[in-house]
Amino acid sequence: MLIKKIQKINVYAMTWRLPIIVWQLLFFVGPVIFMIAMSFFLVKNYRMTEAFEFVNWSKMFSKNYFWDSYLHTVTIASVSTVFAMIIAFPASFALAFKASEKLRRWAIFLLIIPFFTSYLVRTFSWFVILSENGVVNALLGYIGFGPYTMLNTNFGTLVGYMTLTLPLVVILQTITMASIDRTLIEAARNLGCKPLATIWRVIIPLSKAGLIVAAIFCFILSFGDFVAPFYLGGSQEPTLPILILDTTKSGQQWPRAAVVAIVMMITLFSVAFIGIALAYRKKAKK
Amino acid sequence: MTNSIKNIFKTPNRRNLLKVSGAAVLTTPFVSRAWAATTEINMLAWYGHGEPDIVAEFEAANNVKFVSKYYAGGDNMMALIAQSPPGTYDIILSDGEFVQQLNAAGYVEEMNAADYPFDDMLHDDFTKFPGHWSDGKLYSVMVRGGHLGVSYNKNAISAEEAQSYSCFWKPEIKGKLGHFDWHLPSLGMISLYNGNGSSLWDLDDSAWAAVQENTLSLRPQVGGYFDYGGTFNGLKNGEMLAMCGIGDWITGVLEKDGAPVGSVIPKEGGIQWTESYSIGKGTEKADIVKKFIQYMLSPTGQVKSAQMLAYPGFCITKAGRAALIEADPAEAKRSHQMDGMANEPISLINDGRIHYRDIPKQQSLEDWNDFWSEYKNS
Amino acid sequence: MNSKRILNIALGAYVGAIFVFVFAPIVFSVVFSFNSQRFPTIPLGSFSTEWYVKILNDPDIWKAALNSLIVSSSTAVIATVLGFCTAYSDFRYNFRFKGPYIALILLPPTIPLIIMALAMLAWLSKLGISGQLWSVVIAHSVLTAPFAMAIIRLRLNQMDPDLESASWNLGGSEWATMRYVIIPFCKPAIISGLCLAAAVSFDEFAVSWFVSGLNKTLPVVILEIVQGNIDPQVNAIGTFVFFTSMTLVILAQIFFVQRQIKSTKS
Repeated sequence: MLIKKIQKINVYAMTWRLPIIVWQLLFFVGPVIFMIAMSFFLVKNYRMTEAFEFVNWSKMFSKNYFWDSYLHTVTIASVSTVFAMIIAFPASFALAFKASEKLRRWAIFLLIIPFFTSYLVRTFSWFVILSENGVVNALLGYIGFGPYTMLNTNFGTLVGYMTLTLPLVVILQTITMASIDRTLIEAARNLGCKPLATIWRVIIPLSKAGLIVAAIFCFILSFGDFVAPFYLGGSQEPTLPILILDTTKSGQQWPRAAVVAIVMMITLFSVAFIGIALAYRKKAKK
Repeated sequence: MTNSIKNIFKTPNRRNLLKVSGAAVLTTPFVSRAWAATTEINMLAWYGHGEPDIVAEFEAANNVKFVSKYYAGGDNMMALIAQSPPGTYDIILSDGEFVQQLNAAGYVEEMNAADYPFDDMLHDDFTKFPGHWSDGKLYSVMVRGGHLGVSYNKNAISAEEAQSYSCFWKPEIKGKLGHFDWHLPSLGMISLYNGNGSSLWDLDDSAWAAVQENTLSLRPQVGGYFDYGGTFNGLKNGEMLAMCGIGDWITGVLEKDGAPVGSVIPKEGGIQWTESYSIGKGTEKADIVKKFIQYMLSPTGQVKSAQMLAYPGFCITKAGRAALIEADPAEAKRSHQMDGMANEPISLINDGRIHYRDIPKQQSLEDWNDFWSEYKNS
Repeated sequence: MNSKRILNIALGAYVGAIFVFVFAPIVFSVVFSFNSQRFPTIPLGSFSTEWYVKILNDPDIWKAALNSLIVSSSTAVIATVLGFCTAYSDFRYNFRFKGPYIALILLPPTIPLIIMALAMLAWLSKLGISGQLWSVVIAHSVLTAPFAMAIIRLRLNQMDPDLESASWNLGGSEWATMRYVIIPFCKPAIISGLCLAAAVSFDEFAVSWFVSGLNKTLPVVILEIVQGNIDPQVNAIGTFVFFTSMTLVILAQIFFVQRQIKSTKS
């Protein structure tokens, strides 16, 4: 009787537990592990042959352009993260503390919309908005400035990254700050804390975890995006995602593209790990 | 779909009705063809060759449907074939210089020369294009071509300046020079600029080093590396004032749209791109593919190719050129495809000012690729 | 008091500016889709429906739209089933390795799409199932299951844990309880999970581009036009995709978020 019951529970429990395990092992863990294996394969005459050689690793690591590209990608993704966090903050602050509940919900709903519009199409719009005879330069022209070159520069790339990340960062920051206990802020005010000091010493520490998560997401998205640096940055100093594309296009060098991809993943995991460790670190007692 | 139709009669409920009518609405454009079991032809080509302006008429007349996969650059093409199962592509449009690689890798079928108008070609070279024949067997037929040189914005660079690749180094266009993002045409141009002439692809170590050096010296001028779309847009909206690695195939489209751009063959010489059709190895549709290649080489097909919306190419048969002059004299004139005109493509070839694009002779493609990545990152 | 007001106005204007930045490309895309110029520039050309006529008459675009519908609806079903199973397991059971188990489903969206695309294509061609529509479905299910799981998990949070045991006490088997209690309770979340997964899949281009082979979806066609003979068809298709996705999102909103608000209020 008892055994029967255990079996019965197991069947039921496993019905719900197993599908995702099987599916993700087959179609998520499988591909990632295969990609790691692939980085040791060889390519001859455009055909990949299974092997176990370190030549792809030594080849990529010995190339200056790989390291230049790596440094550039890390730098510009970090800059993008800092910009997004700073630009988003006042807006999130206003939405979290000044807006009504209803307004805030609407704002968040509106900010979700961009996720469901084609990022490519939005990028193509920036083309026209930012170009030398585009909307922005036309407006600046009226007040006697410009024209400025914005496309095919790091500025263009950053605009693309912001398009991708800003809505998400505002949403995450807003939700985090809105959930801070208001009485703590009141208390700080009553104790004579000035508004800026309140932000710096009360609000930011209290929403640290959420802010770091927002920053991590922003870094991941910028670091992995190939559309903005290619179409708005003109591939000037190609980022790692562009290097992956170039490498797959040129002569079927998939193993080398895999090397780049693995280096990217290790970087992202390290950043995420450090970030999460910072976010949940217990404050040292003074 | 037939099943759901049966279901409707069995259990006429609202959901099924919705499903069927939904499917009906969605498939309406194909219905007429679907009934007659349309043959699908898988084409691997540069962008535009499978678009309606080229294939629609042939599709309608032969009850076929082209399904196209587009690539950019020969290495990209080889990679795409290599990663698909054999027999995936029924017809392959390849750059002339990559035909020998296609053949060496065993990706294409032998063709019968008698099926194609070899006796009507405008130039002898077109009938026996390098690599298209191997051991007396034909593997590919040239269908169109075009010339690459200095492509420039007429407001920024004068016609005299455009007579040499040295205009790419002009200080006024600093940051405004674009590159088509493929090593062969751009490095080929620098090689011509270095005075390598007809041995532009056959570079020994010192000549190759000189090409690299001069290319790197161009880096401060460069404002971006673009695919087709970016090249078009950059020249059109004035973001780029000159473009290295392209020719009339891009500026021609823009010129027709009214942009102040043009392409010329400078004094150092120009490069010809050549596009050729091959029949994919293992295809079961060789007959209809052959018919399509014949169609593209017929006067009708040659006119379509010259007027192709994506990018123009010149006619290679005498009958094709005659038909173009008849059907669209404006385009024939714009592209100098009339006997006796200055810069007429065939006379440029005869004068030795045009070199067929090729792959590097003394270095591997990988070396050129690597250098290109390095250049972009410098 | 006065300075506080100025501050509030300034903050309001700042929020407005952010929204302008976020929505400018979307608005301009719609505007360009009705603009006659082949290469849109300022000043605009005349009003034209040319690009819409062009895409409506292009069978390749219809085919791609049909492919996209097939992919996004199949993806939605698979991802939601997977998401539901995982959410329920997480809600109901404690077991060893639960952390890695949850990580397994939540990790994919944190990996750059270009890397997922590379790994997926290599793996699926190794298994001999690349280049088909359902290769895209497989890849998209991996990417979207976490979204469905998250939304269903949130809904389960609101369920009184006693509800399940009450049903057992009344003699219902676990399966019957699932059928008559839990699934009905989760229904709004399931529907919005479906919509959300469908919307994400409908707009994804990088992975689709790599694994779809000759079976292009709409976003892949957009990418090809942007890479190739760039013209405002991109905007016309984009506008169409936008309204499709928005419909799905609004449906998700109606089915889930509204009820969520109601149930929190009550």
